[in-house]
Amino acid sequence: MPSVSSTLTMPLMVGTVLGVVGFISVVAMILVYAERKVAAHFQCRLGPMRVGWHGTLQSIADSLKLFLKEDIVPTKADHLLHAFAPVISVMAAILTLIAIPFSSHLVLADVSIGVLYVSAVSGIGVLGILLGGWSSNNKWSLLGAMRAGAQIISYELSVTLSLLVIILFAGSLRLTDIVHSQEAGWWIWRAPGVGLLAFVLFLIASTAEINRTPFDLAEGESELTAGFHTEYSGLRFAFFFLAEYMNLFIVAAMGATLFWGGWMPLHIGGFTAFNQLMDFIPGTVWFFGKVITLIFVIMWFRWTFPRLRVDQLMSLEWKVLMPLGFLNLLVAAFLSLFGWYFFPLVF
Amino acid sequence: MDDDRLTAKNNYVKPVQALPIRGFFGRIAYGLGSLLKGMRVTMHYFIHPSTVVTQQYPENRETLVLSPRIRSQLSLIHDESGYHKCTACHICEQACPNASIHVVDRPEPAISKKELDFFIWRLDSCTFCNLCVMVCPFQCLEMKPTFESSVYDQRLLAYNLTKYAGPTSTVLAKQTDDEARKNMIEPRQVYDGPTELGGFILAGMPESTREKKS
Repeated sequence: MPSVSSTLTMPLMVGTVLGVVGFISVVAMILVYAERKVAAHFQCRLGPMRVGWHGTLQSIADSLKLFLKEDIVPTKADHLLHAFAPVISVMAAILTLIAIPFSSHLVLADVSIGVLYVSAVSGIGVLGILLGGWSSNNKWSLLGAMRAGAQIISYELSVTLSLLVIILFAGSLRLTDIVHSQEAGWWIWRAPGVGLLAFVLFLIASTAEINRTPFDLAEGESELTAGFHTEYSGLRFAFFFLAEYMNLFIVAAMGATLFWGGWMPLHIGGFTAFNQLMDFIPGTVWFFGKVITLIFVIMWFRWTFPRLRVDQLMSLEWKVLMPLGFLNLLVAAFLSLFGWYFFPLVF
Repeated sequence: MDDDRLTAKNNYVKPVQALPIRGFFGRIAYGLGSLLKGMRVTMHYFIHPSTVVTQQYPENRETLVLSPRIRSQLSLIHDESGYHKCTACHICEQACPNASIHVVDRPEPAISKKELDFFIWRLDSCTFCNLCVMVCPFQCLEMKPTFESSVYDQRLLAYNLTKYAGPTSTVLAKQTDDEARKNMIEPRQVYDGPTELGGFILAGMPESTREKKS
C-alpha cells in the first residue's frame, strides 16, 4: 500500500500542511453554504441568493467579515484558555482528517490503528469546548460546555461499539485495510442485519457527538444564547465554526469508510461484469459521493427533528443505544466467527 | 371548593395518552417510524421548489405574488365613477383601538344630515388590525396590498383617504343633472385635512388645491 507518509520530506510536509489548511477552509465554506441552502429548501425558503449566482459567494463574504471583525474577550475571562480553546477544537479536527483515506493513493497518514486514532483524537475536540465554556466566565457558556462534555462522553460509547462491529468483520484497525476488506461489498449490507444496525447506531451517536440538532444541547440557542461559544466573536468564533463543520465532514467520511466502503466502488461478490462497470468511476468520486450523501442525511436530520431534552438525551444513550450496541456487537462476534456473512471468501 | 376541576372526573383535565405500542423494541420502531414520517414531509418540501414562499422582492416587483389576506394600506373604496359609500357614521373611528382614524364630517344643508369631509388615516400608528374594515356597515373600507409607503417625513404618513367631500354614491346617483352633482362635491387630495400636514409646509409637497374656508 503506497502512502505519502513514508516519503515525507520537509517541502512536502509544508506543502501537506498548506494543502490540509486550504482543504479544510474550502470544505467548511462549501458545507456552510450547502447547509444554508439545504436548510432553506427544507423550510420552503430560498436561502442566500444575492451574493454571487444563487448566493454562491456568500460563504466568502461571511469569512471575510469574520476575519475583519473585532475580537471581544470578556474582562474576567481566562485569557490564555479563552485563546487556546478554539485552536484545540480545530486541531482535533485536522488531526483526525489526516488519517482518512480519500482514495487508494491519497492517504496522508496510514496509521495501523486508524480507527482507534480517529476516535481518540476526535475526543480532544470536547476539551476545546469544555475549556471555551469554562474560560468565558459566563453561565451560559459553562452550562453549554458541561452539557457538551456529558453528551460527547456518553455517545462516544455507542460510536465505538458500532465501529467495533466493522473491526470484527474487517479484522483490522487500519483504515485502508478496512476499505480493502469491502472489495466484495460494503459492510452495511454484507454483514447481515448487524451492519445496518451498527450504521444506524453510528449515525445517531455521531450526530450527537458533533453537537448537531436534534442533539445540539451544547448550543441550545433558545435556552443558552449560544452555549459554549456565547462569548466568542470574530476569528475565534470562526475557528469553532470551522471545527464544527470539519467534524461533520469527518463523521461522514468515517461512516462512508467503515460502512459504505470508502473509496471502493459498489461491488457485489461474484458479479464480475457489474463490478468492472463500477470500477470505471474513480475512487475519489465514490468517496466524495458517499460523504456528500451522508452529510446531506445529517443535515436532513437537523432541519427535521426537534431538539431533545437533557434527560431524554441521556436515556436515549444509556437505555437504548448502548444496550442495542452491545447486543449488536455480540451477534456480530458470532457472525464473523462462523463466517456467516455474504462473500466471506472473496478477498 | 371546586376541587374536582383538577381531577379527570370531568373533561377539564385530559389524561395523557399512552403510546399506542408498548415494549422496548415496539417503542423504538414506533419512534423511528414517526421520525421517518417527519423526514418524508421535509423531503417533500426539499424536492418541490414550488413550495418555496420566498419572494425575490426588488427584482420581481412586477410579478410579485402576495397573500390575498395581506393588510398593508387602508383605503376607502371608490367606485368606477369615483364615488364612495361612506356616510361619515364614525363607527370605524370608534372601533379603532389606537385612534388612527379621524373622520371629519360637515353638515349637508340639503338633506339636513352630515356628509364626509375628510377621512384621515394615520399609517404610522395603525396596527392593521382590520377592525375598521370589519365594523363598517357599508363595506366601504378595504385593506389594499400596496406596501411601498415609506417616506422621509413622518407627517406624510397621515393620509386623507377620500377623494372628495360630499354625499355618498347613492345620493349622488339620484342626481340626474351632472352639473348639480358636481356642485354637491368638492375635490380632496391625499394630504388634505382640517389642518394640512399639521400646519407645516414641507419642501417638495404641493400646496393644497382646496379652497381655504374663512
